[in-house]
Amino acid sequence: MEKMEKKELKYKNELTRATDYLAKNPKTIFLGQSVVYPGNSIFKTLENVPANQKIEMPVFEETQMGMCIGLALAGYIPVSIYPRFNFLLLAMNQLVNHLDKLPVITRGKVRPRVIIRTAIGSERPLFPGVQHSGDYTDAFKALGLTNIDIVRLDEPDQIFVAYKKALERADGKSTVLIEYGDYYNEK
Amino acid sequence: MTKEDLAIKEGLIKFEDEIAEIFTAGKVPAPIHLSDNNEDQLIEIFKKVDKKDWVFSTHRSHYHALLHGISKEWLREEIIRGNSITVCNPEHHFYSSGIVGGATPIALGVAMGLKRDGAKEHVWVFVGDMAAEGGVYHEAVSYAAKNDLPITFVVEDNGISTNTPTKKAWGESTSAPRIIRYEHKKTKYPHYGSGKWVTFG
Repeated sequence: MEKMEKKELKYKNELTRATDYLAKNPKTIFLGQSVVYPGNSIFKTLENVPANQKIEMPVFEETQMGMCIGLALAGYIPVSIYPRFNFLLLAMNQLVNHLDKLPVITRGKVRPRVIIRTAIGSERPLFPGVQHSGDYTDAFKALGLTNIDIVRLDEPDQIFVAYKKALERADGKSTVLIEYGDYYNEK
Repeated sequence: MTKEDLAIKEGLIKFEDEIAEIFTAGKVPAPIHLSDNNEDQLIEIFKKVDKKDWVFSTHRSHYHALLHGISKEWLREEIIRGNSITVCNPEHHFYSSGIVGGATPIALGVAMGLKRDGAKEHVWVFVGDMAAEGGVYHEAVSYAAKNDLPITFVVEDNGISTNTPTKKAWGESTSAPRIIRYEHKKTKYPHYGSGKWVTFG
């Protein structure tokens, strides 16, 4: 009888490992929906984060992004979580006009560092609809943001490196980390 | 007003008049938004603002900046450099934004950070009457109140947003909003799906 080969799934494990690494820095705060209460795939990767570093947010994406900028000004390293890329679109005003522009406006005196985590909605086995499955990576890159890096995580090996860089980067830039919902079960 | 208040008021008016002159002479390469006739109110409000407090302002920020202790010389230079609508001075915990209501959620986040740290500083955020009708403002006010955050919102009501009369644009009927709200807090189904394991294939 042919032996079934079990594929090693690393994508979710790497997201969890990278998240754990961020959480070791006591200045990180994880904010978003389904951060404290279960409800989406990202929640599972946050289970090792200490409770005092997690804040469940109302559904107010723009306000959440602004709050994260404020937390960064106050000395924290916020990890702002948007479970779907489509939801992150609602926070664009704060992302483009403030997070990206404050270093310009202050001539580099202020560089609020926010780590933004979002996911391209899983399409298999269920298609969640066109409002929950968007991938706007190319559109974000085309915005010409100078103080925010846009990183799509296509492979498990990219994940820890990208998270570590987002946390420790010396240039003070913010980072948008984009994951794929489908890869939790496929890679 | 005390004699000291009157001197502050005269200083504010003199500063804006000077900036108006410089602008009229074509020496400011960017828009400016001047203040006038709200000196008394602001002088009273800023008596409560500690120099270490955080102030978040709008595109019309000159009075706020001066009353928060930023020097006239620094501010004048910043305006001449073309940065009047985004005056920011991190050393003084002073920020402003050229986006209507844009600084409000940022101020809220600072207040959250201060509370987590057990800090004594307070956050003051200024908005116009149009911004005070907007969704982000209401979210921030609600969240701040429900989480007891150290922040005060100041609405500066001049009745207009650029040249748009706020009340005309929003409508002026005083009828009560028609809202139906009902409770249904028990359901056998989860947020999505049936609550049972499904095999597709």
